[in-house]
Amino acid sequence: MIELHGIRKSYQSGAQTLEVLKGIDCTINKGELVAIMGSSGSGKSTLLNVLGLLDDFDGGSYHLDGNDMGGLGEKQAARYRSEFLGFVFQSFNLIGYKTALENAALPLYYQGVSRKERQKQALHYLTKVGIADWAEHLPNQMSGGQKQRVAIARALIANPRVILADEPTGALDSVTSDEVMGLLKEINREGITIVVVTHENEIAAQCDRIIRLKDGRIENPQAQHHV
Amino acid sequence: MFDRDAWLEIFHTVLSNPLRTGLTGLSIALGIFILVVMQGLGAGLEAGVANTFGDKASNVMEVRTGNAQLAFRGRKPNRRVALHNPDEQAMKEQLDTIPAWSRLVFRWGSTVRYGNQQGSYNVRGVDPDQREIGQVSLTSGRFLSPRDLAQNRKVAVLGAQLVQDLFPKGTKPSDVVGEFIQLRGIQFAVVGTFNQAGSRWENRSVYVPFSTAQKLFQNDDVVGRVTIGTGDAAIEDTREASTGLLFWLKDRLVVHPDDAEGVWVNNENEEAEMFRQIFSGIRLFVWFVGLMTLLAGAMGVANIMAIVVRERTKEIGVRKALGATSHAIVGQIIQEAVFLMLVSGCVGLLAGTWLLHGIAPLVEHDFFSNPRVDFYSALLALGILILVGVASAIGPAVRAVTIRPVEALRDE
Repeated sequence: MIELHGIRKSYQSGAQTLEVLKGIDCTINKGELVAIMGSSGSGKSTLLNVLGLLDDFDGGSYHLDGNDMGGLGEKQAARYRSEFLGFVFQSFNLIGYKTALENAALPLYYQGVSRKERQKQALHYLTKVGIADWAEHLPNQMSGGQKQRVAIARALIANPRVILADEPTGALDSVTSDEVMGLLKEINREGITIVVVTHENEIAAQCDRIIRLKDGRIENPQAQHHV
Repeated sequence: MFDRDAWLEIFHTVLSNPLRTGLTGLSIALGIFILVVMQGLGAGLEAGVANTFGDKASNVMEVRTGNAQLAFRGRKPNRRVALHNPDEQAMKEQLDTIPAWSRLVFRWGSTVRYGNQQGSYNVRGVDPDQREIGQVSLTSGRFLSPRDLAQNRKVAVLGAQLVQDLFPKGTKPSDVVGEFIQLRGIQFAVVGTFNQAGSRWENRSVYVPFSTAQKLFQNDDVVGRVTIGTGDAAIEDTREASTGLLFWLKDRLVVHPDDAEGVWVNNENEEAEMFRQIFSGIRLFVWFVGLMTLLAGAMGVANIMAIVVRERTKEIGVRKALGATSHAIVGQIIQEAVFLMLVSGCVGLLAGTWLLHGIAPLVEHDFFSNPRVDFYSALLALGILILVGVASAIGPAVRAVTIRPVEALRDE
């Protein structure tokens, strides 16, 4: 599903060039639940940016479901994001003035789906993550776990191939964390590839495989061939 | 642009953020409101002053005589100075070019009678040039002719008020021509009528030939006043001419050079010039205030737009991650801003117009009338504000979409 070969990425910081990714080789198969771990500064955010097509890369190649992601234009990247990828964030990042239903429906707006269909789909996915009763509530009326469920519904609505979860349980207590991880695992069992960026060992342990990043490189290349 | 879904999204965003919407809207509406009101008040002031003073031709000089205060060349102080026909003739001869020239004898409170109706009106004996000098607008017949004067004809041109007062209801001005009226007991033929819009004083007047009036009503050769049209002479030339004329008149009529009241030349050009300067001053002031208001409004809008976009950085990141192109996001922000500013600008425009129309009847004053909204400049101002608003939104919006979402969305 995801194939990375020699991905390099550096940032210009004043006169200095900061090399953040120093050649990442990695394959993530369809239907896998993979954790990416690493301390801060290890390059895991940057890798997530690259995987999420939110940033370009300087060298190497990236194939997503067999499509070359190199040198994409702004429009193409946005299209692949909306069709292939779903995002889940640590701080949920729901839009505060929109209800749960509207938040979940937003990705379909950018795919040009009609309003009626969007709302129907959104309600379907809110039901699926078990939060249909809260459809008309605003995010500030919900608990963290509820908000993350809305965010997961939003990530699922466009029927993505891959869900990228950035510290999905970082802002949740342990009971809610388990619930959210349970939900992600359930989604994974339906065949959607999930990449979880985390620094929590308990979370990583629930994944099929752990990729450890250190100083812009993968620390445990042997994990490539696990499973 | 006309995508219904996009508009719904915009309405929703605008309506679900009352504080943000309120602040942006207020700054635009207030700017336009103040601008409209200032412009309206300025226009009202100008119209009022113009109504009060702008009624007569401004390109004239008036020669009048009065009581000399100072003894001079053996003459006693406090004596009446008069301009006689020979003086008037000599004065005319010593001027180079005279675009228009009208003598005047004036009899106010003269009884005018037609049939059984009579009233008290102002009789003015004038020359044919009075038509040009007084900008007399005829409604029927003709004005006085040189032949009327040469033959001392007993002909009259009636003001609209006389026609209305003395003749039966519904009489048209043209019906009056050819009728005969009694003027101070003497029969005159009506040859024309006139109507000076908005000037009751003028419309209560009867014009008759100067020569006739001097002979019948005065029986001497005194000229009450001479009005000299200056055509399109420059203000400096008329100033020079009036000074020279006064000097000449004082010598001829034996009036002390320092005597301010024996004889004087009133240069209306000076007055008109003064009002022109007052008007351009008012206009400049109004524009200055308007410009400052606009500047303050524009800065307010620019600030608020910058804050709004910064506040939305996270939202922009989310939208991007969910598949929005940068183009779509910047487009939406600008569309929202333009929509909001357009609506609130119109609110300010309507409120300002409403206020002006509301206060107009309450503050009818000699120097203030009919404050009107200069719609064109209000729209121009609105356009400028929107342009500034959009320009100030583009920078932060573009910066916001170039931030990498994963960083913008992280709580680190």
